[in-house]
Parts: sequence; structure tokens; C-alpha cells
Amino acid sequence: MTAPRSMKNRLVVASFLLPSFLGFFVFVLLPVIATVGVSLTNYSGGRTFHLVGLANYVSSLKSSAFLSSLWITARFVVFSVFFQLLLAFVFALMLNGKVFARTFFRGLYFLPSILSSIAIGLAFALLLNPGEGPVNMFLQSVGISKQPWLTSPRTALGTIIFVSVWQSFGYYMVLFLAGLQSINPSLYESANLDGAGLLRKLVSITVPMLTPTTFFCITTAIIKGFQVFDLIYIMTGGQQGGGPSGSTTVLVYDIYRNAFMSFRMGYASAEATVLLLLLLAITIIQYRSQRGWVSYDAA
Amino acid sequence: MTQRNLSRRRVTPGRVVLYLVLILAAVAVLVPLVVIASSSFKREDEIFTYPMSLIPRIPVLSNFSALREHFPLYIWNSVKVTTSIVVLQFITATTGAYAFSKLTWKFRDTLFLLYIASIMVPIQSIIIPQFIIVRNLGLYNSHAAVVLVSAFTAFGVFLCRQYFLTIPDSLLEAARIDGASEYLIFWRVVLPLSAPVIVTVIIFSFRYFWNDFFTPLIYLTSQTLKTLPLGMADFVNQYNIAYGPQMAAALISIIPVLVVFLIGQRYFVEGVVATGIKG
Repeated sequence: MTAPRSMKNRLVVASFLLPSFLGFFVFVLLPVIATVGVSLTNYSGGRTFHLVGLANYVSSLKSSAFLSSLWITARFVVFSVFFQLLLAFVFALMLNGKVFARTFFRGLYFLPSILSSIAIGLAFALLLNPGEGPVNMFLQSVGISKQPWLTSPRTALGTIIFVSVWQSFGYYMVLFLAGLQSINPSLYESANLDGAGLLRKLVSITVPMLTPTTFFCITTAIIKGFQVFDLIYIMTGGQQGGGPSGSTTVLVYDIYRNAFMSFRMGYASAEATVLLLLLLAITIIQYRSQRGWVSYDAA
Repeated sequence: MTQRNLSRRRVTPGRVVLYLVLILAAVAVLVPLVVIASSSFKREDEIFTYPMSLIPRIPVLSNFSALREHFPLYIWNSVKVTTSIVVLQFITATTGAYAFSKLTWKFRDTLFLLYIASIMVPIQSIIIPQFIIVRNLGLYNSHAAVVLVSAFTAFGVFLCRQYFLTIPDSLLEAARIDGASEYLIFWRVVLPLSAPVIVTVIIFSFRYFWNDFFTPLIYLTSQTLKTLPLGMADFVNQYNIAYGPQMAAALISIIPVLVVFLIGQRYFVEGVVATGIKG
């Protein structure tokens, strides 16, 4: 009696699991494993390939394009994550209390994060046109000289960081707001009784109680930061882009160009493996370190 | 209460700074969006007049008619691809979540952990083998490629599972005793109780794939298959100078998401928040 019943149970489980598992296995898990495999070959999109051992990794370490893409990615991630979360935190604090049109402000700041990066990139390309663009005309009218924005290697990355901060801070603000809302109000009440000032409450209650949210935001923002692609594609030159002079070629862009423009799929897979390992390492380090600074003894 | 008292209570310097900052930030957020909307109806030479006009001096529709050759097809392709993905994600997310929350089996929690871990895997790091698999399945340069690689959603499974866990097992047990199959329970008991989370998953999936650029960029090469974001990027590369039609295209691509946002803002916010709560 039990045997056929458990057979039937297995079939039921399998039928519920199959739709998601198929997609997960064929298009995510298998590719993760295969990325490492392909990275050990000289595959270039054709029918044949040879195993080349670690040659792709060796040549990537010698490639200035790869090393500079790592450096550009690092700068992008550090600055965009920092400013996104700083603004998110500050605006969440401002919108947490009784504020006129609170829902409006919250919705408005959040809005850019759900819009198409391609559309947004186009709008900023217009605004930041180095010639007669509105931003430069405005700067000129207040006595500041025109800036090259996306057209100079000196300013292009900073400009894209700015746009990504503009687009994403509202997303993290919503997360911080939820975190603020979950703080037990009695903590503030007893602090008030003790005569604690605003700053004191911020440092002693708000910041420590928000560490789980902060931790989650940092992790998410870093992972998203590593994947920045659309803005770079649309704002600095399309398929051959990542310019000027490669100044915005982040790691994922270098992977894309090597794999799908130059068809160096083996080599690009080595870069992709490095990307995976980097994110894995960052996630592990963060989870290890969270014990030191994240407090989960919640409200 | 005297006038002085009143004003002291309401208008502190801190309040003034607060509203000043909020309004400045609101303007900063709005400017690019307003530029898209107003430039769509401006003649090319008016777009770069300074100071910028909010309402076009001579409103024109020529920017939209410049799009009429390719964009109706791009829009249709986007509608088709996005709808298919949303439907598939609804199926994979809800059935998967049911298996992970309401059925017990070996390796359940391990597999769930793997699903969750896949959220941190960037698409660009697995795109090469995925591309090879798609090509070997004979799907390269087809909408089916974009749809199938996007069908699985770890985020959706996670979100639905968290919600399903709040549905009491006693409810399901009662149905089981009445002889209902798991499929019937899933369809008649669990899904009807889960409308909010399903709406959230659908909205998230819609807005993500309506905007998705990378996957279509890799898999779609034929002009006739391209989706809206891809078509927009092409348009820029080919007609580098015309800003008016670019903004018109951007406006078209933004409007559906904007409408959904205005109607269902709370689902967006709830979805974002749900990801942040430790489960």
C-alpha cells in the first residue's frame, strides 16, 4: 500500500517541480558549470575546439583590457553603491516622519528604478550633450565651463555612475523605509524619556536597528553594480562601445564584446568565471562579516 | 495661540531645509522624464533651445511618424515576448513555490537554497554556455529563445513560497481528507488565496522583461524580431543625430510601465520590500 502511494507522491512532486526545474537546470545551473568548462577551451563559436588548460586565464591576466575592465568595474561598483545607499538612507530618514505629500515623493523617487535604462540613457545623453545640451547651457549661464560628460575618458565613467545613482537610489530608499518602519517605536519613546537628542537616537537606535536592511541593500547593490550594461551600451557607443578609449568598459561589457563581437568564447568564459568567483567571494566575505556588525535582535 | 507661536511650531529652519531638499530632488528626478515627454513633441531645432521650454512652442507629431516604419513591429514583438514570459513565469513560480512550501520531499531545502543562490548569478557570467545551448536547440534568433531562457524565476518562486507558507496547512489537510488531489488544492485553494503575491510577481516580471535589453540583444538578430529596447538602441546607432524620434521612442517604451505603476504602485513597493525581509 505504501509503495504505490509514495510513487504517486513522487509523481506529484515532480509535476509541480518540473516547470521551474527545467528552466533552472537547462538555462542556469548547466550554464554555470559549463562556463568553467568552456573557459578551458579555445572555443570560438564554430564546430571544433581544443582544450587549452588554463591558457585563457593566463592571457587574461596579461591582457590590459581585462585588467582595466576590472579596475573600472571596481570603481563603478564602489562609487555607485556608496552614493545610491547614502542617498537612499538620507531620503528614507526624511520621508519616514510626518511629511507633506510623503507618498508622492516616495513614489516619484522610486519611479526611475522601474523604467527602461535604455530610455533613461537616451534622455541623459540628450541632457548631457557636450555641445548645446541643456545641462551645459545651464552651467554656462551660471559661469561654469561646459563639461565633456560622456565624450571624455576623464568624465564618462563618473557620468554613468551619476545616472545609475539617479536611477536606483529610490529602490533602496523603499527598502530603508520598510526597515525604519519595522523599528519598535518604544525604543524611541524610552530614549525620549532619557532625554536623548535626534543625533543620539540616530546613532544608537536607527543605525544599529537598520543593519539587516543595510546589509541586504549593500549585497543587492553590489551584485547589480557588477551587472551594469544597458546604460553603458546606450550612452557610450553601442556594440563597439564602452568608450571613449575604453573608459567605461566594465567587466561584463568586456565579456560581451569578446564573446559576441570577437567570438573569443573560451577567453570570455574565463572572464565570466572570474566574475562568478568575484561575486561568490564578495558574498561569502559579507556573510562572514555580518556577524560583526549586523544585529538581528529585531523589534 | 498667537501668530508667533504658530509659526514657530510649523516653520522651523529644519523643516524648510527638509522641504527644499525634497523638492530639489523631485525636480532632479523629474527633469529627464519631462525632457523625454516634451522633446517627443518638439521640432529638432527646438529641443536644444535654451532655456528649455516645458510645452513645445510648435507641437509636432513628426517624431512619432518617423518611427512608423519599424516601431509598430518592435512594440508588437515586445508585447508578444513579454506576455509569454509573464505567463510562463507565473506557471513556474507558483508550481515551484507549491512544491517548496506545501509538499515534503528529499533534498527540498537543498534545491531551494540552490534556486536562491542563482539570484546572485549575473546573466552575463552564464550567457556563453546558455547561448550555445540555445543554438543547439535550434532556437537562436527566435522569440522562443528569449522566452524560454527567461521562464525560470528564482525571485518569483521565493516570493510565492513565502506567501504560500502563510496559508495554514490545516486548510489543505481538510481538502486532502475530502479526497482532493494536490493539483485541485493548488488550483482551487492555494491560488485563489494568493492573488496579492501573484499580482506582485506578474507586475515585476512584466516591468523587468518589458525593459530587458541584454537577453534580446544576444538572441535576436533579425530586424523583424527585435523588441522595443533593442529597436531603440538600433535607432540611435543608425540615426545618430535625431533626438526627437529617440525621445518619442523612449516615451512609448516608458508609458506602459508608468501606467502599471500608477495603478499598482503598492504592488511594486510590496514586491521590493518582500525581497528585503529575511525568510
